[in-house]
Amino acid sequence: MNHYEQKLKEKPKKWIINLVFTLGLFIVIGLSFRGSHINMNRFENVGITMRIFFTELTDINLQYLFGYGNYTFNESIFYLGIETVAIGFLGTLIGAILAIPVGFLSSESIGGKKGVKIGQTVLIVIRVFPEIILAIILLSGFGLNALTGILTIGIHSIGMIGKMYAEAIDNMDRSFIEALDAVGANTMQKIRWGIFPQIMADFTSIALYRFDINVRSATVLGVIGAGGIGTLMWTSMTFTDWPTLGGCLVALIVVVFIVDSISSKLRTKLV
Amino acid sequence: MKQFSLSNGKVITKPTSKIWLVLSIVSALVLGFILMLTLVSNMIITISFSNLGSLITRMFTYPNPLNPNLSFTVAEKWSRYFSYSKELIGPLFETLSMSLAGTVIGSVLAFPVAIFAAKNVFKTKYIYIPTRFLMNIIRTIPAIVLAIVAVQIFGGGPISGAISGTVAVSIFTFGIMAKMFYEVIETVDMGPFEALESSGASKMVAFKTAILPQVLPLFLSYLIYIFELNVRASTVLGYVGAGGIGTILFASLEEQRYEKIGMALIILFVVILVLQTISNRIRSKLQ
Repeated sequence: MNHYEQKLKEKPKKWIINLVFTLGLFIVIGLSFRGSHINMNRFENVGITMRIFFTELTDINLQYLFGYGNYTFNESIFYLGIETVAIGFLGTLIGAILAIPVGFLSSESIGGKKGVKIGQTVLIVIRVFPEIILAIILLSGFGLNALTGILTIGIHSIGMIGKMYAEAIDNMDRSFIEALDAVGANTMQKIRWGIFPQIMADFTSIALYRFDINVRSATVLGVIGAGGIGTLMWTSMTFTDWPTLGGCLVALIVVVFIVDSISSKLRTKLV
Repeated sequence: MKQFSLSNGKVITKPTSKIWLVLSIVSALVLGFILMLTLVSNMIITISFSNLGSLITRMFTYPNPLNPNLSFTVAEKWSRYFSYSKELIGPLFETLSMSLAGTVIGSVLAFPVAIFAAKNVFKTKYIYIPTRFLMNIIRTIPAIVLAIVAVQIFGGGPISGAISGTVAVSIFTFGIMAKMFYEVIETVDMGPFEALESSGASKMVAFKTAILPQVLPLFLSYLIYIFELNVRASTVLGYVGAGGIGTILFASLEEQRYEKIGMALIILFVVILVLQTISNRIRSKLQ
């Protein structure tokens, strides 16, 4: 036995723990499938269902999609897509502005020990609160329109944006604040001259990242009636109007793709 | 534009701040979007805080809808209110199992694709650019759309809704996981990989021995994080018939049984809080 073989033998035996982990995972997945029944009748016809479904889905009325001919632009599917972006944008803006005080409170360098506790609790509660239930609650007060979507997204965004703001504040260079402390600046002055110039880029990048997510969740909120493309998607689904649904999908993918590429391009420029 | 003349005769111009440009663009967008929503879409705003208040009260009290004249004691009301949780446990486990199975299947599928999308493993752009394009297309499709399509193919409702939900969650996970994962692969230390390749190992062997040990903890950490994300995301899938707690949620919304929604809210809140705490604990240990 040479030196290398000896060294190889000393290697910790990981395969036991790996095996246990993998087996456990498979058992849990097996358990999750236990209760569900696969409808075999439907499974046999999957090919036919898929063919019919996809031919109807791709049979898009282009006039309806882009809003020319028989349709005006503000009836078109693309307009609804832009409306979804509008809901996402306004919601993100509200969230980004409301998150500033919470973020400052829950960062250790500004809020102190007590502030961190209060701020973190608020942020966790907001983050854990299911978005769809928040939308249902707000729906009763603000009606079936875009305002509900905007407010839901705004309130729900505070959780994540605030947390990331607090992290950005904690990660910044503290020496500026110490210098301002030394010359006798008060808290507002410290924020304006010491913190604000440092974190502006971070904050914008965080808000843009969240904007990306919010355009997607605006679609989901549309399904319960909070405006945008989701509402049309839901009605076309209940009336089994597949061509319209296909149009919605195309519009949605294009809109999300554009928003995604713009926000990622801006973010790479900022950081 | 402000100009300063220094003592050595040089003139410096202060660079114009871009903040006003950014602010004006943002405010123009805000104004445009608000005008668009109010004028073009004919958004009719009816704000009623009394409705909001009454909904919240109805969510957290037991109203006795069958017989309003019958009065209960406080203890009876609360016990009846919390007895709704029995109806919700089954669908809750369905949601959890749907997200778990979907997360694992999606992540396992995403693993090889992420390798093809990483710039540092396959260096030709004819492999990684098409892979990334495909991934981006999959990633733009929201989970609810995937669920709608899956329900059409596999069937929805209480019988086979969970299968459709699992398929939707797996594809959704695949999109996120593949992106997160190829970004991780691109940041690893390439030294061992290059050493193995130069000594004649094939790409797969080199990947297994040099890169995999570096990325496996992060992979597991993302797996847990996305599981947590999926539990939240799959609540809504019940609305289109893909099983889970969402089915109960929207059924009780249609029946206007808001107390059930309140109970579901409490249960979801607790479950997500527990999951988040556990996942944060595990993830901080893994990294």
